[in-house]
Amino acid sequence: MRARRETIADIAIWFCLATMPYWISLLGGYTSLGTRVVVMSLTAMALNFLLGFTGVLSFGHAAYFGLGAYGVGMTIKYLVPSTPLGILVGVAVGTVAAALVGALIVKLRGVYFAMATIAFGQVFYFIAFRWNSMTGGDDGLSGWRRIPIDLGFKTIDILNDDKAFYYLVLICFAFAVATMAALLRSPFGRTLLAIRENERRARFLGIPVEQHIWLSFVISCFFVSLAGALYALLNNFADPHDLRWDQSGDFVIMVVLGGMRTFWGPLVGAAIFVLLQDYLSSLTDNWMSLIGVFFILVVLFFPRGLLGFLRRQEKS
Amino acid sequence: MAEQSINPRRRRILQAAATVGIMQMTGPFIIKARGEQAIKIGLNDPLTGTYAELGKNEQIGCEYAIEQINAKGGILGRQVQLVVEDSTSADTGAAVQKARKLIDRDKVDFLLGNVNSAMALATAQVSNERRIFHVVTGGHTDAVTGSDCHWNVFRVCNTTRMETNAVAKTLFNKYGKKWYFITPDYAFGHTLQQGFEASLKQFGGTEVGADLVPLGASDFSSYLIKAQAANPDVIIFLQAGQDMINALKQAVQFGLDKRFHLAGAQQELEVLDGLPPNARVGTWVFEWYWKQPNVPHVAEFVAGIRKRNGGKVPTARHWFGYVATWTCALIANQEKTLDAVKLAKATENFKLPPEVALMPSDTFYRAGDHQLMPTLYVGHAQEKGSEAEDLFQVDELVKGVDAALPVAETGCQMKWN
Repeated sequence: MRARRETIADIAIWFCLATMPYWISLLGGYTSLGTRVVVMSLTAMALNFLLGFTGVLSFGHAAYFGLGAYGVGMTIKYLVPSTPLGILVGVAVGTVAAALVGALIVKLRGVYFAMATIAFGQVFYFIAFRWNSMTGGDDGLSGWRRIPIDLGFKTIDILNDDKAFYYLVLICFAFAVATMAALLRSPFGRTLLAIRENERRARFLGIPVEQHIWLSFVISCFFVSLAGALYALLNNFADPHDLRWDQSGDFVIMVVLGGMRTFWGPLVGAAIFVLLQDYLSSLTDNWMSLIGVFFILVVLFFPRGLLGFLRRQEKS
Repeated sequence: MAEQSINPRRRRILQAAATVGIMQMTGPFIIKARGEQAIKIGLNDPLTGTYAELGKNEQIGCEYAIEQINAKGGILGRQVQLVVEDSTSADTGAAVQKARKLIDRDKVDFLLGNVNSAMALATAQVSNERRIFHVVTGGHTDAVTGSDCHWNVFRVCNTTRMETNAVAKTLFNKYGKKWYFITPDYAFGHTLQQGFEASLKQFGGTEVGADLVPLGASDFSSYLIKAQAANPDVIIFLQAGQDMINALKQAVQFGLDKRFHLAGAQQELEVLDGLPPNARVGTWVFEWYWKQPNVPHVAEFVAGIRKRNGGKVPTARHWFGYVATWTCALIANQEKTLDAVKLAKATENFKLPPEVALMPSDTFYRAGDHQLMPTLYVGHAQEKGSEAEDLFQVDELVKGVDAALPVAETGCQMKWN
């Protein structure tokens, strides 16, 4: 019964995402807002792979998000004007950085791990902020834009056609989400859950805990840098703020809002966060306080996030 | 049992109340069909965070202009409406999103903003993509009308290079040729310092030292001691906002103002207002000043802004918003069209009328890089003037055309596509 209900929920979610450009404008939205929702959802779900399913809190994911963004921007601006190649470079840069940083901090636990991720994140932030000649420093990396994709037989104009770009992002999102779902169902994913539930017991069972956490961190950052690359393409701009610790904080808020430990929770959280920000900030200057109050209410009354709450209601 | 029969009803009432509450928020989502539509000017500026005060001042300037435009018949006979979005002060992604929201959803005819240089660059790219006439109000980085210039983008505030060029000669001739720089360590500070260094080289002066200070620093003592030891003629502060307040306060506490000349490029009334009176010292550039007794229409503008600004006088930020908004109206009414390409063509070399320019000499948008050529006000800060808010004494007026680099050297290659 539950399995069937989940299948229906999955179909509903994919249907909503696939048709979003056609109904979002009726609700007062616009296509690029939908794209932003999908990109942020991907980020939050990737972070949740580490936070919700491995039980490790990273406060520095913005660094890999930003590396993805600068990777794609600098590739298109300085090397090759090709969107797919730019995405590949962005993802590669973010993932390699995560693999190196992860190896250094994987022995830390809890708040120490979180602090180390902030510290390394800020290192990348300051590089982007200070290296004026390459990254544009505080002015950001401008003077480039996404390049239409040439398939040989047909050119997809993702630059001027918002919907085409939305579907490119959605395809990347689908690939990432499917991969994460498959990983979580594999023995590797089950092992991560075991580590989350009881690390000591997992260790006694002979599971190489550090390697697993490291791999989970790298996989999570792989998808986060993919999201970062797509985000830069969405804005046609990369900005040092993308790498800063408060951006990481926003990602964690999205995950917690929607419900960590649920697969789709971060998507709900990210959608709420982005839409609320977009909508409230047009109404009042004090939109940040309203979002803050909303977050506090969710944490107080739905500590498992909105989706976690719904799921519990269903069970009881 | 009785309790159980009450509970569901109570819950229903609560649910109904919550629904009604939520409906208050969702109502405006539905867009109704419009008849005679107003012309929309979108302002995308920071209303929260570090730049909130500057952004809000620009908004006041825009609102004042809109009121005047509507009183004079609007644009093409239609009323004008200002749509304001908070771009935030630091999140460029949000600023880009808001620019798209204004253009795609609200269908604005003109876009204004931004205070933040990064956001000015990023949103200019969006307006260019969407072919919307865009006036940058307060982002100073050279690239906006330099290497990243666009056919549809015009800028009201000065480039950093214009500011340094305006004041450099005065500093050199009057105060000496050995300079020491205290520079905030990010793009804005670096370009200002480069501007001064170019002038210094041209005049044959020497740079006796330079310090890069992290953005947001509160303690300047070590830099001030170093500056003192280098024994320069002029110490140049390139900070902005709160950083400038901290730097000048401490320099005066150290007594440096008695021994060296303190100076810099861009200075704002908002900063001088935040300084203790004895720290209002040094030579600076203002981009517009409210006290210009011999310039027509300025008094009227000051009075108008005072009314909507809690009695305070307008700053350069109010003027930016005011000029940017009026530019859209003037050019559209002159050309009798809303077509962005035609408007942009007509804005090249367009001279602002005196009641909008509020400046002593000709003020026009330069063809080639689309930079406004205003007057720059070089002068010194003063502890107290004839009136409470008169904190700056204008010593010299520099024409924008004399301060700006020639178009060929700005790096701007205008592409009309």
